Amino acid sequence: MKRLCAAALIVVLGLAAAPIRKIQFTDTKLKNGLRVIVSEDHAAPVFSIVVNYNVGSRDERKGRTGFAHLFEHMMFKGSENVGQNEQPYLIFMNGGTMNGMTSKDRTVYYETLPANQLDMALFLESDRMRALAITKDNLDNQRNAVQEERRLAVDNQPYGKTFEAIDELAYENFAYEHSVIGSMADLNAASVEDVTAFFKTYYAPNNAIIAIVGDVDTKTTLGKLDKYFGSIPAQPAPPQVDMTEAPQKEERRLTLEDQLARLPRIDMAYKVPPSSSPDMDPLSVLGTILSGGRSSRFYEAIVRQKQLSNGIGAGTNDSRGPGLFQITGTALPGKTLKDLEEAIDQELERIKTAPIADWEMEKARTGARRSLVAGLGSSLNRAVQISEEALFFNDPDRINTRADRIARVTAADVQRVANQYLVKTNRNVVLTLPKATAPGRGGQ
Amino acid sequence: MPPFVFIAAVLGVLAAALPQAPAAPAQPSTTQMVLKKKAPVSNDVLKVKLPRPQEADLPNGLHLMVLEDHRLPQVTFTLIIPGAGGYFDPADKIGLASYTASLMREGTKTRTSPQISEALETMAASLAVTSSLSGPTASVSGSALTESFDKLMDLTADVLLNPLFDPAEWDRFKTRTKAGLIQQRTNPGFLATEMFNRAVFGSHPAGRVSPTAANLDAISPEALVEFHRTHYAPDHAALAFAGDISLADARRLVDAKLGAWKKTGTPQTAVADPPPMSTPKVYLVARPGSVQTTLYVGAQSMTRTDPDYAALTVVNRVLGGTMGRLFRHLREEKGYTYGIGSGFSATLYRGSWNSSTSVRTEVTEPALTDLLAELAELRDTPVPENELADAKRAIVGSFARDLESPQQVLGYYIDNWLYGLSSDYWDTYPARIMGVTAAQAQAAAQKYWGPGRLQIVAVGDATKITDLLRKKGTLELYDADGNPVK
Repeated sequence: MKRLCAAALIVVLGLAAAPIRKIQFTDTKLKNGLRVIVSEDHAAPVFSIVVNYNVGSRDERKGRTGFAHLFEHMMFKGSENVGQNEQPYLIFMNGGTMNGMTSKDRTVYYETLPANQLDMALFLESDRMRALAITKDNLDNQRNAVQEERRLAVDNQPYGKTFEAIDELAYENFAYEHSVIGSMADLNAASVEDVTAFFKTYYAPNNAIIAIVGDVDTKTTLGKLDKYFGSIPAQPAPPQVDMTEAPQKEERRLTLEDQLARLPRIDMAYKVPPSSSPDMDPLSVLGTILSGGRSSRFYEAIVRQKQLSNGIGAGTNDSRGPGLFQITGTALPGKTLKDLEEAIDQELERIKTAPIADWEMEKARTGARRSLVAGLGSSLNRAVQISEEALFFNDPDRINTRADRIARVTAADVQRVANQYLVKTNRNVVLTLPKATAPGRGGQ
Repeated sequence: MPPFVFIAAVLGVLAAALPQAPAAPAQPSTTQMVLKKKAPVSNDVLKVKLPRPQEADLPNGLHLMVLEDHRLPQVTFTLIIPGAGGYFDPADKIGLASYTASLMREGTKTRTSPQISEALETMAASLAVTSSLSGPTASVSGSALTESFDKLMDLTADVLLNPLFDPAEWDRFKTRTKAGLIQQRTNPGFLATEMFNRAVFGSHPAGRVSPTAANLDAISPEALVEFHRTHYAPDHAALAFAGDISLADARRLVDAKLGAWKKTGTPQTAVADPPPMSTPKVYLVARPGSVQTTLYVGAQSMTRTDPDYAALTVVNRVLGGTMGRLFRHLREEKGYTYGIGSGFSATLYRGSWNSSTSVRTEVTEPALTDLLAELAELRDTPVPENELADAKRAIVGSFARDLESPQQVLGYYIDNWLYGLSSDYWDTYPARIMGVTAAQAQAAAQKYWGPGRLQIVAVGDATKITDLLRKKGTLELYDADGNPVK
């Protein structure tokens, strides 16, 4: 056993909340309009690069749902100087990781790599932004993969169709009403011409933001960014997305049957403003108080005491357009959705009228601070977040201010937004009921 | 929704920790992979030396490990207790270890379950006690900001040493858990894993995936108390910290908070390998309404210290790593699936290897045929040198990314302790991977993926796939509750 020195034993651990290091970055634009953000951090010999394109399923037109995501798959099928699948192959072969993600609001591509592979990453990202290889073979091939993805994530999952039903019920605005994965029929209708036009319009340097975080030298990196991306021509700005959503006047309800589910489930979606609204911070705290962890009100009252459900989630997601505050819970065997809904409504009523405890507010504050610290541990997390703050809010420094913003939210703010948004005329309810299958033969 | 899905097929300690790699096959060529070789790739593999934790042995038997890293104001810890895992469950009380662990967090002699939740979440800290149904250890793990870590250790000590096992909390827990037992049967991946482990491990504890409602009802609060009293001993346990803490601080904390945790004199527990597998069969789990077939193909693997470990790691990466042969062939060339991969577990007893995927019902037969053909290809033909070199480079190159996370690095050294690996194991690991030859990789494929040992599990619409699966071997049919269908 190692003998420890006496001096070390009397060191007192920690105590006061240390200030959290601010994330430093440069934020500039190349001549072609490409916004580049570089945040140097030598904590580990790696860097992450994120290319965030200002296009998502909200930019799709009717009859082409699922197209933004299908297009994302095409970005791995080669470009002028990069072969089919060579991009992912090179990234993984050299110890990196990469992927792409499409949401309603944006399409993001990322790589995390050892520090000596910066040129490779920039070459690969710039080649596909400049000259994507668009062929019918590639399109047909990825159409298959995406349709399989739809089966895996939606059609073969219990409650898979519920996710689509909520947005379809809640929104009237087409951009936000339809799912990112899209319909099988629309995926089949996508043509090579669609791909070509989409690429030219949306994958232009002036419609993208690059964030690089990690073990790089800022000045050298900015020079390389100009070298690889600077000569890609800008394009006319894409059309603006219609984000208007008519105010909802009465509650909407829908009941679904699901052959793959075994327990009934309730989903509620209340209309809330876009994420740029100052009300989003109080709504975030509201979500934490209602459903954050086992000290939350939903857990304690409905899961633990009343034993109506084994878990209820509540909260908002980032949305550049009209948003939703969603509540989801599954009823335990022998319990009804009616009882579960009443119990949820009771808790919503309580938070609107009865006092919120100090510790509940403190929990939200500390949680935001902890997320900030945890995010600092990953170059990829920072690169994604900083690019989204820039794309959604034109303010990459929001990455540094979120914890402070949450800390400024008061209990009165939380009650105000609960009273304003969580009202029945503003909500959409989807009930999913298990559909009984023929007994006995196990599908035979 | 990302286009590349990474399948962490099994619970492999290392297989899961390292991202899987690419390849370029000779025979089962794919039309969907072209290397133009114009990108400026640095040919150096970044030499990474993992920082080592400081270690100490305490008088109560506890082994202390600290990976000091002050980059961020947070600390994580893991306490591993051999002998407290589900491996040691009595046959009539399957789940006892797992539920003992879960209930420890549901109240102590001085704190109720809600009080524990409130205290933890107000400081944004986490604390979990877990034990699997099959493994030999239980673990207590948590994390907090530095400023709250002292308080977290107070709670941890209370949960570890003074759990109440209140009958009312046990009843609540049973109700919630029974709902989970029903819900998991809707998940095709769960059904496949359950059947696969049964096929590969038989009645060995490793074959257990989930308890039954009857198991739950057979366990009393007194049994939980007794299991905790007799199995939560420090004698052979390890406590590992990573982050904003020094060895001296950790030592002081353990002395102050866990001083009451005394040595019991219980001997080190031993585990046995699972019995040899039964004759390979095809197991079909009928899932009415399924639009996909979920396929698992696999067999028993090895223990963590097996000399074949590096060779199987490399050849598995060629086959089922990201951008590996299975991905390029079955997804990119044939379009059968969104994701496919393979992986293996290797622990104190023999683990398992498998390849898994979900394919649309209509292509079940060609997908399974192609999957089996890829295994045959690796048994019959040496991996071409370039492809082998790429796979090895991918494994070794990924260590640089681990340096972002002290917990990740500490995890490697916890494996050293758990499996008795040499102290320089990770310093020499890259050389061992790089040293795997094409002949060794082929020998591993022949040994572990031999046609006489591969079990096949399919979960899907039995009305459409029963006949074609019969072509692949003797078929047994089950319903979604796991019962045989005559």
